Amino acid sequence: MFPVFKSQWRKDKRKPLMVILFLVGSIALTLIFTSSNMVPQTTVAIFSSETNSSEIMDKWEPLLNRNESFNFVIADEETARTDVAEGRRDIAINLKEHDYRFITAYDIPTLPLIDQYVQKVFVEEAQIEAAAGSQGIDQIRNDVESYLENPPFQIQTESLNGGEVSNYDMGIQLLFGFTLFMAMFTIGFKVNGVLSDKVSGVWNRMILSPVSKTGMYTGHLLYSFVIGFVQIAVVLVIFQYVMNYDLGNNFFILLVIAAIYALSIVSMAMLITGFVKTPEQFYMIYPSVVPIIPVISGVYMPPGTISNAVLLFIADLFPLTHAMEAMINVAFYHEGWNEIALPLVLMLLIGVICMGVGINLVERRKG
Amino acid sequence: MIETIKLSKTYKGKKAVDEINIYLDEGESVGLLGPNGAGKSTTISMISSLLKPTSGDVKLDGKSTIKNPAEIRKVLGVVPQEIALYEELSAYENLKFFGEIYKVKKNVLEQRIQDVLDMVGLKERQKELVKTFSGGMKRRVNIAAALLHNPKILVLDEPTVGIDPQSRNHILETVRKLNEENGTTVLYTSHYMEEVEQLCKRVYIMDHGKVVASGSKAELLSILSSEDTIRVNLSETSDELIKKIKSLEYIRLVDETSEGIRIICKKGANILGDLVRAAESERIQLTNYQMETPSLEDVFLHLTGRTLRD
Repeated sequence: MFPVFKSQWRKDKRKPLMVILFLVGSIALTLIFTSSNMVPQTTVAIFSSETNSSEIMDKWEPLLNRNESFNFVIADEETARTDVAEGRRDIAINLKEHDYRFITAYDIPTLPLIDQYVQKVFVEEAQIEAAAGSQGIDQIRNDVESYLENPPFQIQTESLNGGEVSNYDMGIQLLFGFTLFMAMFTIGFKVNGVLSDKVSGVWNRMILSPVSKTGMYTGHLLYSFVIGFVQIAVVLVIFQYVMNYDLGNNFFILLVIAAIYALSIVSMAMLITGFVKTPEQFYMIYPSVVPIIPVISGVYMPPGTISNAVLLFIADLFPLTHAMEAMINVAFYHEGWNEIALPLVLMLLIGVICMGVGINLVERRKG
Repeated sequence: MIETIKLSKTYKGKKAVDEINIYLDEGESVGLLGPNGAGKSTTISMISSLLKPTSGDVKLDGKSTIKNPAEIRKVLGVVPQEIALYEELSAYENLKFFGEIYKVKKNVLEQRIQDVLDMVGLKERQKELVKTFSGGMKRRVNIAAALLHNPKILVLDEPTVGIDPQSRNHILETVRKLNEENGTTVLYTSHYMEEVEQLCKRVYIMDHGKVVASGSKAELLSILSSEDTIRVNLSETSDELIKKIKSLEYIRLVDETSEGIRIICKKGANILGDLVRAAESERIQLTNYQMETPSLEDVFLHLTGRTLRD
């Protein structure tokens, strides 16, 4: 077993580019998609075509900008309309004394959100004005704000186990997703070494040597596992300890999940190896299949986005779904061994089945 | 030492090897000759325990190797037809890997690697990557990898296919030395007649999965003792001319060559007159006429009706 393991290591030592590329790829993809995941503040141009436009702007601009989700900037009417017409800006608002009109070139997806917000500001202001009566509006506004700071009914939110509700960080989900996804490539391409050896004739040479079949497979598969696991571990270590991402307080459990995941991916790659005849076929089929897995497993989407029963069932067939579930539970909800036992067992089960069928198919194909 | 008994292999109803019986005595050098598709590689795979026969047996010193292949694997060195090496590694690293899988002891392995590299003439280039080697050099490393555990029997499956004459001579010389100086038993398959003639004391000729003849070179040539081989150079050939020659009663075989035709006919037949007449009737000029000493190639042609490279 060890000579086989060492020979694979020697090959990668000479040509480490692929492993490095996938490792850097995991980090780069996470950084790129995590940063783009933060929704940028939407800027909306506001103007008024009324005769008392400056008065209107003075009134509404500070009220609209009390929320940080949107940035309302004062513009002159002509510029605002031209910007929308020429696509430099998606939206502008023509403000009136007690009303507003949207100026937009097409039905942008954020329009309902902006409309909802602006409407809320206008309704609140109308209510305050109605309630003001003889008192000053500012007085009423201050009263309402101080009242809201200490309301008669308060809602307290707790997590299921009584603690604080964790913030769900989509960035961390993507970090896990991309790391596990890229590891699938590294592991798969290493497992493909079995096919390469078979085609080149090295496999037959090994059969004739005193190395047992078990030793031959173990050498190859253990190496694929180690490379895949080390890749995942390195990425997680970099994000946890160098980039200071909060991956929860049980890093060790994350590493165990990564190890079991790597093991199950080795088996999955072995299963695909069983269906193809040459390394070239593997290189064609594996990279075509693998990118579909995170999509079905909902890796790139917030939890609960995929609700189709068939898709959920298919997702359950892949180790990625279970690894993501376990990692997210550990990182966000600080769950322990008992809570993540099920996804771990499912990954092991998938691993055992795929390995059994895969090796069987490879052995049957010897002619 | 090794013998096969009615060894057969059938693939999807087609017999690749059909009840062949061959044997190798200790220290002997035996050739397995045949064109592509004759069943040589399948036979070798079965002898070396890589492939289970459909029927028949392979025996090493009287014991069947089918159920217990470990015994034959210990004493066998196999040089496959393909370059079974890691091209990304150097010659030295490849040999180290194969030495390790053959469990050659660490303190012996280093010296053994240098010995086999010396044997194949690549000691000076051992640190270079195999992928940078020429085809001939790769084949030499391929042979070296099979010698690391000092096998008693060396099986070579067409080890000189597609290589330069210098590497070819080197390989033939290495095999000859292994056989004559080290006493290694050699089973050498090839479709190059001259290699087998040069290296092997005994030859098996295979065609369509069967052994069609066997024996020493002299024994095989005696098959042609009742025949003459004549090489005729012509200004051009035509199907009509060949047809006319074939119709002569003493003609056994007519084979087209690059310069004319080769004829196998009854010994002592007076062919020249008939040949000139046939050529004249077809307006073809006869430029050269030569009686040839029969070769194994002629034996093969006689037995199978086709040339080795068909």
